[in-house]
Amino acid sequence: MPSKRQLTVAGGYVLAAAVYISIGVFYTDFLLSYFVGLAYLLLVAWLVPAGVRRLF
Amino acid sequence: MKLAFVPLLFGSYSPDLLTKWFVYGVNIGGWHLRASNPAQFQRGWPGVGFTHSLLFGVLVAFLVWRLSGSKTWAISFLIGQWAHAITDTGDTVGTMLFFPWTIHIHLGAWAYAGQTGRLTDAAAYFSGPGAVWDLFWIVYGIFSWRVLTRSYFESHVFTADAFWARANKFVPMAALLILYRTAFFYGTSRWIAWSLWAHVYHHYPYDISWGGPHWVHAAYSPDLTWPQLAGVLGIVAAGVAIFLVSRREFGKRSWAAIRAKLKLA
Repeated sequence: MPSKRQLTVAGGYVLAAAVYISIGVFYTDFLLSYFVGLAYLLLVAWLVPAGVRRLF
Repeated sequence: MKLAFVPLLFGSYSPDLLTKWFVYGVNIGGWHLRASNPAQFQRGWPGVGFTHSLLFGVLVAFLVWRLSGSKTWAISFLIGQWAHAITDTGDTVGTMLFFPWTIHIHLGAWAYAGQTGRLTDAAAYFSGPGAVWDLFWIVYGIFSWRVLTRSYFESHVFTADAFWARANKFVPMAALLILYRTAFFYGTSRWIAWSLWAHVYHHYPYDISWGGPHWVHAAYSPDLTWPQLAGVLGIVAAGVAIFLVSRREFGKRSWAAIRAKLKLA
């Protein structure tokens, strides 16, 4: 079974996926490229959390 | 045998990487650039269908080996490219798997509809057996969740390929972990997004019968003749025989001894 920490991380990715999917349903160009997906995930799963940790 | 994740992923994308845009078409400065026969262009000859052949994978893997010096990278690329070439035989057009022999190996399980344009193609793919095939791998990936954990990445993926350690000098581990996880994130998220787009936002009907969805105007390759089928079976049998014999030989002697015998560098 996954640990609590692993479930928290997974939950973060599920949230990121929900936003990605919401954008993609209405703007399908967003879904076209793996590199767009990579840039999106680097932004929301790394840069934004790092920025928030730095601020608080 | 260790595999390297980055060339494996790149290999799996390689057949469509530079060519899919021309299948769907693109507008540049008032010009609309698109293949006049998208199925022929993407999978056929004349065209770039050779990118979906086993031979193309071997040649590019050889180049990868010579340029990078890494057999692991070459083999990983080859496996990725072969996986794409072989699984694309699942649709109604198939691939020229044994190029320069230009027959199309095709199972016809789902409709090829690239010639209908990007949106109709997506609607069709995510309404038919192709989407079920993708879903199987998504579920398999979810049940294999341990491979997406940080500990698995650090102990198995990072250590299998020097690329990660070199990249780590410039990019923190957190970003490398995201690079590793993106393929599964991207594939799963776009499956869900396209499915919602096709069936909730629009109302394309599902048809997961063989060769479906049948509401789309699919492209088809001609069925193989009996002599062509015999030829294909002969090639497959020869490949299996070579594999089994080479395994037996490698079991008897070390790779270094074989190289010395063949006078390879």
